[in-house]
Amino acid sequence: MDGDVTDPSPSLLAARAVDKRYGPVVALRGAGLTVEAGEVHGLIGANGAGKSTLVKILSAVFPADSGTIIVNGEEAVLRRPSDALTTGIATVFQDPALMPDLTISQNLRISRLDRGDVLPWLERMDLGRIDFDLMAGDLPLAVLRLLDLARALAHDPHLLMLDEITAALTTDQAAYVFDVMREMKGAGRSVLFITHRLGEVLMMCDRATILRNGADVAHLDLKGVDEAELVTAMLGEQLGEELIEEQDAEAAATVAEPVVLDRPVVLEARDLHFRDKVNGVSFELRRGEILGLTALEGQGQDELFQLLSGDRRPKSGELLVGGERLNARSPFDAIRSGLVLVPSDRHHALLPQRSVRENLSTPLYNRIRNWFSLVGDEEERVDKAVGRLDIDVRAGSQVQRLSGGNQQKVTIGRWLAAGFGTLLCNDPTRGIDIQTKAQIYDLLKELAADGAAVFLYTSELTEIPLVCDRVLVLYDGRIVHEQDAATATEEALLSAAHGLESTPA
Amino acid sequence: MTSTVRESLLEGTQSPWRRMVRRQGWTVGVWVLLFLLIAYYSTLIPKFGSFQVAWVINNGQPIVFLAVAQAVIVIAGGIDLGVGGMLVLTSVTSARLMEGQSLSMTLLIAVGVLAAAAIMNAGVGWIINVSNVPDIVITLGSLYVFQGMALAVLPNPGGGANGGFRWLFTGSDTGVGSNWWPGAVMITITVVATALWLARTRSGLSLYAIGSNKAAAYLSGLNAARVKILSYAVGGAFAALAGLATTAIAGRGNATVFGGTRTLDSVAAIVLGGVALTGGIGSVIAVIPAGLILFFLNPILTAMGVDPHGAQIIQGVLIVLVLMVTGVIEWRRKRRG
Repeated sequence: MDGDVTDPSPSLLAARAVDKRYGPVVALRGAGLTVEAGEVHGLIGANGAGKSTLVKILSAVFPADSGTIIVNGEEAVLRRPSDALTTGIATVFQDPALMPDLTISQNLRISRLDRGDVLPWLERMDLGRIDFDLMAGDLPLAVLRLLDLARALAHDPHLLMLDEITAALTTDQAAYVFDVMREMKGAGRSVLFITHRLGEVLMMCDRATILRNGADVAHLDLKGVDEAELVTAMLGEQLGEELIEEQDAEAAATVAEPVVLDRPVVLEARDLHFRDKVNGVSFELRRGEILGLTALEGQGQDELFQLLSGDRRPKSGELLVGGERLNARSPFDAIRSGLVLVPSDRHHALLPQRSVRENLSTPLYNRIRNWFSLVGDEEERVDKAVGRLDIDVRAGSQVQRLSGGNQQKVTIGRWLAAGFGTLLCNDPTRGIDIQTKAQIYDLLKELAADGAAVFLYTSELTEIPLVCDRVLVLYDGRIVHEQDAATATEEALLSAAHGLESTPA
Repeated sequence: MTSTVRESLLEGTQSPWRRMVRRQGWTVGVWVLLFLLIAYYSTLIPKFGSFQVAWVINNGQPIVFLAVAQAVIVIAGGIDLGVGGMLVLTSVTSARLMEGQSLSMTLLIAVGVLAAAAIMNAGVGWIINVSNVPDIVITLGSLYVFQGMALAVLPNPGGGANGGFRWLFTGSDTGVGSNWWPGAVMITITVVATALWLARTRSGLSLYAIGSNKAAAYLSGLNAARVKILSYAVGGAFAALAGLATTAIAGRGNATVFGGTRTLDSVAAIVLGGVALTGGIGSVIAVIPAGLILFFLNPILTAMGVDPHGAQIIQGVLIVLVLMVTGVIEWRRKRRG
């Protein structure tokens, strides 16, 4: 379809200079997007680039702080999701918008639809015989996604927005979605397609908008563009150069310590499975090693950490700590065997109104003999931990008053006094300034040098060569890539994380 | 593998009987428990007859209606500590207004009280929405406000009610020699109508929807604020029905009883009735036997020779057990890989 040069008719949808902040965090700064009638438009960008925020503003889940949305040439005021629907914009969100305690039929009634409205679409997706009296909460994620898609299509939208719909789908299920997208396009309607899988973007989209740090940095016509060009456009030239300089500076320090592969294995995962999120993860972590893990959002990393920290039980597979099988019923058991977690959300780890000292001592209170006071040299060890973290304890009379970075240091420091074998860090530097990041990395390196093992998930690829010895890439609940961190380039990791390396033929 | 989904998700693969057991098992179980208790009670006392049945049904009405009020609000994801205060307020107001009135005037007053209660409690729901303060805090306030208003309306026990009005709830004009069926009809009509509304209409389903997943409900185009206010309005009306029943049973109003105790009874009843305190799950049909069981526990234990304090302990243990059973089921379901 065309919508290119002369274009007498206005665009189907245009967003101009959209800003959105969440407190101090800027999600979108002056983001813009134009979708023409009859095109499939890709919206791509790294984690946290602002894709989902923009989609939610366009579908009126929440308002933008400033900026305009223009539908068919007229400025549109959309107050709530139902307004977006009546203007012809239907969205399938990242999290399925179905109520788990209602049946499929009841969910449809809430959306003012009935079985007959969605059935033609469901039949196309091989779901025509699904039982409409099932509770939505009993359905697998993939089916929920497809149902949500059928529900959106039943509203007969002019623009269909799909936020990461293929992430949870199998290849044949994804093929149904692509068919639907082609049909929409054939009928002169439009699709805004968000995905981390660049192969899908190149296959399906006519044009694409690239978001980086909340701004639209490129608008591409995808004819004749290949994956490498797309990755470069996503990363930006400048950032790449900065990265190389940084790496050179760090190289001297890291190269000096080669990874010693004959050190004992302290933690081994063997073919872990959990729901459809973790699909056979195996790895070995050695004493003194920092093993990096990276992935796009929602590839099973959170569930993997839940398994490793004893919060959930794997469906199958096993976990060996120091060669012995760990059968943890709760995090308590994992902690006793030396497996400790620094969660991605530090609010899950800290007592915000208590002091730094108290927070550092909490793991010690797990022992019954410590219910009344600390015993032996524990007092001393807490003091040492405080010293090591380099935090002004007077400012730390309440942990919630510390900066995010210092709070994160406290969450790591909690395990210093108590002692541990393996530190599991789930994105410890998310939203933290550069300087504190460096301090946290130094701390992790020191811990590893002292003989601890560190398993570190980070979504920031630039950090991996700086801290890690080895790196694993997780995609769709599987480890798809492994390499020495020192030689890992951002391009290689990013393509692996997008599943490009292992694209099935 | 010809299909993209598991066989068990397809139509006709799950036996409707097993699904019925899974979904309605709790409701059926509570009803069975009620009848077992009644059967057991009949062996404990020398003479069991329609008098005892009438006594349980009639005097159980306030707690049943109050529990339905609580259930409607909890299903929509809230909780209302103020329903007990509303019961006392509507009871004394109706007793004061109805004293010496004709039947038609009395019925008019009853409708007015129901409507006023619905509007007042809708206001409570509205305040929760605009203030963004948790339900439990705002309704703790409304409990004391309603209780205080009740004392202002009727400082000393008194007032009255028309005989015909009393018959509607008890089958007796004077409170002596009651009949079981008017009370049973009253419970059946109101609660079944509410159950049908909740399960069959879009506005009723929207209560389950916001209680189940508020964010998803909003994304599906529901106006979550409006639904919450609706749940509080219906809850207020049922609390008022409980208040009217109280007046009809006693023939007068008494503002010196504390409504908070009644609120706690209503929470206990919905827990026993299988309504999830986290919202989105439960049936008001199961709340009828649950309320009656809670009411019935006292006389049974008295007949068994347990003193009234022991009855309270058993009531408490029962609630904890029920919560434990549901908690363990849920926990096992969540942790499984």
